[in-house]
Amino acid sequence: MTGRTEVTAKQLEAHIAELRATRDSLVRRPVEEIVEVLGSVGERFLEDADPIRKRALAALPEEARLSSAMAAEVLDSMARDWSRNQLKRTVRAEFGDPAALDGFQSVQGRSVAGMGPRLCVQVVSGSVPGVGVNALIRSLLVKSPTLLKPGFGDTLLPKLFVEALAEVDSDLTDSVAIVEWRGGSEILERIALSEAEVAVVYGSDETVAALRALAPPTTRVLGYHHRVAACVIGRDLETAEIESVSDQVARAIAMFEQRGCVCPHVVYVEDPADGGTGLGVSAEKFAESLARSLRALEEVLPAIPLEVEEGGSLQQLRGAAEMHAASGEGSLHHGGAQSSWTVIGEGSTQLGPPTAYRGVRVRRMADIGELGRALGPLSSHLQTIGHAGLGDRLESVALMLGRLGASRIVPIQDMSFPPPWWLHDGRGPLRDLVRWTEIENSSQLELNR
Amino acid sequence: MTAYDDSTAPDGPAAGPADYLGFEGLFSSLEARFGAEDRSGQWSDGEFSSWALVSFKHQFSTCDPYRAFCVARGVTPESVASWEDVPAVPAAAFKYFDFLSAEGRQAEAVFQTSGTTRGGAVRGRHLVPSLDLYRASLTPPLRAALLPDVEQIRMVSLIPDPEEVPDSSLSFMVGEAVSRFATQMDWLVGSDGRWGARSSEMLDSVRSAGEPVLVLGTALSFLHVMERGRDGLAGLPDGSRIMETGGFKGVRREVPRDQLYAAITEHTGVPPSRIVNEYGMTELLSQLWEPVLAEGLDAVGVHVPAPWLRVRALDATTLAPMPEGDDGILCFFDLANLGSVSHVLTEDVGSVMEGRVRLRGRAPGAESRGCSRAMDDLMSAVDDR
Repeated sequence: MTGRTEVTAKQLEAHIAELRATRDSLVRRPVEEIVEVLGSVGERFLEDADPIRKRALAALPEEARLSSAMAAEVLDSMARDWSRNQLKRTVRAEFGDPAALDGFQSVQGRSVAGMGPRLCVQVVSGSVPGVGVNALIRSLLVKSPTLLKPGFGDTLLPKLFVEALAEVDSDLTDSVAIVEWRGGSEILERIALSEAEVAVVYGSDETVAALRALAPPTTRVLGYHHRVAACVIGRDLETAEIESVSDQVARAIAMFEQRGCVCPHVVYVEDPADGGTGLGVSAEKFAESLARSLRALEEVLPAIPLEVEEGGSLQQLRGAAEMHAASGEGSLHHGGAQSSWTVIGEGSTQLGPPTAYRGVRVRRMADIGELGRALGPLSSHLQTIGHAGLGDRLESVALMLGRLGASRIVPIQDMSFPPPWWLHDGRGPLRDLVRWTEIENSSQLELNR
Repeated sequence: MTAYDDSTAPDGPAAGPADYLGFEGLFSSLEARFGAEDRSGQWSDGEFSSWALVSFKHQFSTCDPYRAFCVARGVTPESVASWEDVPAVPAAAFKYFDFLSAEGRQAEAVFQTSGTTRGGAVRGRHLVPSLDLYRASLTPPLRAALLPDVEQIRMVSLIPDPEEVPDSSLSFMVGEAVSRFATQMDWLVGSDGRWGARSSEMLDSVRSAGEPVLVLGTALSFLHVMERGRDGLAGLPDGSRIMETGGFKGVRREVPRDQLYAAITEHTGVPPSRIVNEYGMTELLSQLWEPVLAEGLDAVGVHVPAPWLRVRALDATTLAPMPEGDDGILCFFDLANLGSVSHVLTEDVGSVMEGRVRLRGRAPGAESRGCSRAMDDLMSAVDDR
């Protein structure tokens, strides 16, 4: 692990003991006070003159391997959700009354109180910078002492956040520990997982499975495993809208250099007449427009040069698509040697290596009903579906997608940055962490009513 | 008609087939040329080049998807001046196209790539119209790398018997080594990767015979067998040697090579100077070998291609050749691929010096691609159905 200090088992145990010791005072603080503190820290990341923001902007590009423009865009959009207002809205969206986390409240005639985990362990993947801070905020909002293992590529922002937190609230800061170890270090993972009441794991299917297997039955493991995003362009899209929609798709693809689970890798275009007259937009026309959008976007949000290994994968993707195109199947548009964006237009379902580095397949479908068959096998990994041109079919298509497994149906322009209260993989971001305690009424009373 | 002349002048006049000989003529001439190979022979540039250009002509004229690819690039056998200009297919294309350059003949064997741990993902396949040519290409480099000092040796294998896994080119290679060079052979592992019921007994007999053995296995199979402790490969007879191949693709636990070899040495007693790494892939019928047995520990990390296999490191974005010794993506021209397509661009990274390859491990940060990458593996898996 280059440039990272790995925690030892002893140190990890000590951190955990210290975190646990902070819980009593943490749970006594009103949620609104915690919102106030976290929000005021979060807002510093948006204030141009603030040294915290300046340091974030200076170091993020290298750590996250993003261009400066992209890093600024990502920081602005992530930090927008760390403000007092957004956090207040999140708590309200999740619990109605924030006091639900402060003590017993009457909810639909039941007396219940929400309890955050005694210890929450957050294992974050690092694909998208800012997710570590989101994770930290979530478990602190439910008053849980938090052990955060940030992912490679997303250590900077959580560290800065905790540093800024320390300036205003040392008690809350004591309830957070950021520790690093190499994924797969079973001894450390076992310690963390056995001490946690709730462990949240962001990562590949393999990582989630491996950590689940290490956790005792008493630790609740919330896995955010691999997810798939796609765009759906319905036949109600007007020709005049193609350009603006393809601009939006291009942004959704390029954001985080396509490393996020909200980044689409395939666009389904409902094209009943195969580019003929009348209904719908030609899939190939859309692919061409998307290629133009990706080219133009590079001026605004440039990518960074690829590593040799990445360049090698890109050659495989483009080479295979070139071979398909040469055999008369589909089309290939790309930015040449100096840029990585790649659009593969497909007349029919075409096989090819994975898209990455701003790569996308555009698939024609004669009818939106075919989506079920196309996405069905991905059910357990479906998440975000960006849409355009569905007209009054939006709700019925969303219902079909939801039944398949998708949890988020969203206008394409909003794909990249869900609000903090989003139903993350279909579950409430705060509610998911909470355990409920109820004071039950006497059953006699109930019967006599 | 002589298919090649035996000129060994490094830059002598073009030796090799004077012209296209038709399928039979071409395959049998090349087979004879491979068979005539001495243990460490280098082919002159001229001879390699003339074979390469004839191979291209053959593949261009008999393999439809390859011809379409070349034509779309505006390249024909008439237009290329040197083998470096022959269009290279991406290794990934073996997943989506059947490259068979055999004038309408069927494949005698179809070898498959191993796929990923997620199962389901599309596997590449390599159609081989002439197993005789493949056999002829396998033996000389294998012998030079593993048996430079002996004619024959007792063998044990952690790689399954080719009869059980007919679609594995690695098993085929091991089977060929056995039929040519083994005094006795024990297959320790079944096609499911499980330890055989009689395997421990077999190893007891190896230990008690006290005769040196050649153990053939993959990195992962060595890890598994070492976990068996004394019941594994512990205490091999003096003079034994090991062939190790394959990495840790798709496995969460990765062990650096020096750690793996140190563990193998500790477990088996075979020193690192007798552990030979093989580098190969299903898409290429020829292999590269680390010549530690012949050249000692100086050769660690260096892979020598078969004499009829040329390797270039190319710039990952422009595909221009890298300077000697600089890392790039590896591009191979393999004459043993005569029946499919010879010029193959891979994703592997390494440098080339005097024709020899140094592979580079994964770059730091490569793991951070996580989310999107695996998502696409899922996509490919679905497409395959």
